[in-house]
Amino acid sequence: MKLELRGITKRFGSMTANSNVNLVVKPGEIHCLLGENGAGKSTLMNILYGMLTPDEGQILVNDEIVTIRDPKDAVAHGIGMVHQHFMLIPVFDVADNVILGSEPVKPWPVIDYKTAIAELLVLAEKYGFEIDPRATVENLPIGTQQRVEILKALSHDASVLILDEPTAVLTPQETDAFMVILRSLKESGKSIIFITHKLREVLEIADVITVMRLGEIVGVTTPSETDERGLATMMVGREVNLVVDKNPATPGDVVLDVKDLFVEDERGLTSVKGISFEVRAGEILAVAGVQGNGQTELVEALTGMRRPSGGEVILNNVNLHGESVRKFLDAGIGHVPEDRQRFGLVLSLSISDNLVLDQLDDPKFHNRFGRNLKAIKLNGEQLRKEFDIRSQSAEEPVGALSGGNQQKVVMARELSRELKILICSQPTRGLDVGSIEFMHRQIVAIRDSGVAVIIVSSELDEVVALGDRIAVLFDGEIQDIVPPSTSREDLGLLMAGAYSREVSA
Amino acid sequence: MATVSKEIVTLSNIRVVSRARSLAYGIALMVLGAIEILWYGGASSKLNTIVQLGYNTATVMPAVGAVWRIALLLIGGGITYLAIKPQTLASFAKAITTVRGLRSVAAIVGAYLVIWPVLLWAGVNHGGQLRTFSLPVATTGYVLGAVSIATGVLMAWRRVDRSASGLLYGGLIVFMLGFLIWVARGSLPLQLTGILASAVAVSTFLIFGSVSGTLCERAGVVNIAIEGQFMAGALSSVVFVSVFHGSGMSKTLALLLAGLFGALFGWVLAVMALRYQANQVIVGVVIVAFCTAMSQFLMTQVLDVHQNLNGSFGLPVWSVPVLSKIPVLGPVLFDQNVLVFFAFAVVIISSFVLFRTRWGLRVRSVGEKPIASETVGIDVIRMRYSAVIIGGFVAGIGGAGFTLGPGSSFNYGMTSGYGYIALAIMIFGRWRPYGALMASLLFGFTIALSANLNLYLGQLVIPQQFISALPYVITILVVSGVVGRIRPPAADGVPFQRN
Repeated sequence: MKLELRGITKRFGSMTANSNVNLVVKPGEIHCLLGENGAGKSTLMNILYGMLTPDEGQILVNDEIVTIRDPKDAVAHGIGMVHQHFMLIPVFDVADNVILGSEPVKPWPVIDYKTAIAELLVLAEKYGFEIDPRATVENLPIGTQQRVEILKALSHDASVLILDEPTAVLTPQETDAFMVILRSLKESGKSIIFITHKLREVLEIADVITVMRLGEIVGVTTPSETDERGLATMMVGREVNLVVDKNPATPGDVVLDVKDLFVEDERGLTSVKGISFEVRAGEILAVAGVQGNGQTELVEALTGMRRPSGGEVILNNVNLHGESVRKFLDAGIGHVPEDRQRFGLVLSLSISDNLVLDQLDDPKFHNRFGRNLKAIKLNGEQLRKEFDIRSQSAEEPVGALSGGNQQKVVMARELSRELKILICSQPTRGLDVGSIEFMHRQIVAIRDSGVAVIIVSSELDEVVALGDRIAVLFDGEIQDIVPPSTSREDLGLLMAGAYSREVSA
Repeated sequence: MATVSKEIVTLSNIRVVSRARSLAYGIALMVLGAIEILWYGGASSKLNTIVQLGYNTATVMPAVGAVWRIALLLIGGGITYLAIKPQTLASFAKAITTVRGLRSVAAIVGAYLVIWPVLLWAGVNHGGQLRTFSLPVATTGYVLGAVSIATGVLMAWRRVDRSASGLLYGGLIVFMLGFLIWVARGSLPLQLTGILASAVAVSTFLIFGSVSGTLCERAGVVNIAIEGQFMAGALSSVVFVSVFHGSGMSKTLALLLAGLFGALFGWVLAVMALRYQANQVIVGVVIVAFCTAMSQFLMTQVLDVHQNLNGSFGLPVWSVPVLSKIPVLGPVLFDQNVLVFFAFAVVIISSFVLFRTRWGLRVRSVGEKPIASETVGIDVIRMRYSAVIIGGFVAGIGGAGFTLGPGSSFNYGMTSGYGYIALAIMIFGRWRPYGALMASLLFGFTIALSANLNLYLGQLVIPQQFISALPYVITILVVSGVVGRIRPPAADGVPFQRN
């Protein structure tokens, strides 16, 4: 099936998310759509799938203009979509998820599960998926859930599959398996639109690459005509430094000593299971792992936001277990939280106010009547310049800033205190390449000034680029602590929890 | 590749939690058993309790000769044996899932034939008179207390996966039995069958209410308005029947009308909550407030003036042939007004519809993750509308259970918060119709109990008010999560907006 987007424009208020976008997807082609966050890839695909209506432009299927008002229309025209956040119902089983919306019935309102499951198994066999139709989706590994999502699209006879950042949630090994699936889908004549911002994957699998920037298409190319650097330049619009420049670390004394730490999540389940490690001054410990393996709880325990159920958190020979967040901050722990909008900032407050949120009891920032507005304002302007926070003034509300600039505010506040250790959780999530570069430089600089740093990230590239040592977390336990020179394959195996067990066995 | 799935590990974690809860329940049961032994046994060691197992002589089948009883036993035993062979019996859980169709019917018939002579022997003596037992309170306390403790030990030791298990219910029932026997010590006979029959009757509107709540919340809409829908159904049905002087046809139509009034308020809730995205709980409470005020107004301004509009007409009582003659249990289940049978039917139908049909699957999907339903072309808002209106209809019929059920006239405040209790029952029943049925019977039992215990006021150490408050206390405990955190539909009460 040939699919064409012609002159698509979509505006949200004053912001233009897509402007005059033209795209042609040929039958049996893997078409990569590459771009930074906010480049308009997802908007474009949501328009194609009927989740959004375009302000201008047409969609053509096999050279005929079609109207797609809702997902139902899209499905009817043979377009299937695998969303970045799976559109699966966790408590339903595989069969229920696949048939939902197009259930076979016999006699009329009763669902004919016999036929449904038989058809599902035929389809799964055709593409070589091994799947139990009666397994509950939430109990399946992420990679399998993704296959269920693909099966769902295929069961609606999709001939064009849109895959929105499908590899973001996968371990490297799962990603390899996924690439195999993509190729087999291509062989069976399906067209695939593959959205990603990972350059490596694009070069590996794409037939055609379309690069988007700021809502416009800035180039169409093929893997043979370009390389990572070329793609990155196209994406960002200028030369980018893909490698983090840093000298070897010169570790000093042990700053943070974590002993046998156990942490429970809010459901009362133990998600950090007896972790021990130490971090020295002037080194970066990167914590790698697929999302949801205890990272969130670990960071919360290390920053005092969550009381551990067991173990010790010793900072400069003082045990902080069970102390308040205030004590943690006073002890010299800086925290760049995973969800900056929820835990890092008060969005409705100004930049200057956000920059002193945790320092209001510092005599510098208050006088006998309350806040020292003059000092706060001055501090805001100063840090705004120093950290290149792009805004009209330091009195603008933080909520009006872009993600990258919001992250700079958090970073600026944490670094403006006297720190012993800086803990950054997903420091560059959702940031553009330029901001990522800036963040990485800041993190390396603070390390070089003799502060211990912990980076928690699910981006393998970032972990390898920044870490002086890499601790791999799986299922709440540290699988191993390895040097950054470790191969990606080995890291992937560690992240899947398979490696160390095989070695020790 | 050896992928160790973390999700499976998490599931086992959940098991660990519910096992810990099982331990706690087990210990609680042990404590209850110990109280029974120490207190009931010690306090009234000399007294006896007379337990009456029949209902009344009119409904009990005349005594059957010993030969016939033995014949029935043998035939029943034979049929049961053929239906459930030893190999399937060995793994009983499997037998339940594999015994289908004819075999399950045969099993039920066989068991029925076995039970009948046994109950007949227990309920009626040779002369066809009701049999009574005289139980020594102290000994009974010791025995039942020991059974409670044993159940508790078993629960604590085995750490069953599902926290609210049959063991827990069994242990509690044994404890309650002991409590009843202790309360009724001395004078009046304990009419066990009578209490059970009124428990089932009282359960009727609770069943309708909780099934209504289940239907709505499965679609992701919280229906706090059940109380109001009860009132609308109760009032409209009684007025309608009164206008037609209680003719047979009018009663059928009155039930329909009650349902339509319930559906009307379901529709109001749907419009406010779905179209205007108002807070569902607040809209529900407002609807209840409206219905309360409206029924009070109609009561004082219309019904008190034209009293012929507020007559007392009961629905016909249906004695199921043969089944209602089963001693002890027959009158409890099969000699009730038609609404009771409707309630059982509503449970069976709604469970089938929710878990077997296209509409049910879509309703559940909409209550779990509406955005996912949207992407496969399901109209989320329409599904929610249909579920809330149908839920309202069910609640409205339940409202008729207050007036036409026992055959009383409408009285302001007669719903006395049962609409809210129905929501607790829905939670207790884990958002499943059959669960709602069992939980309704349990609540119905406590309500019937608090009514019946008035007979034994002299015996009670506890003030009567405490007993009357029992159903509400249990409601609070249920809602505050004593039965354990049961997972509600994920999108329960969350508004949905198309972009």
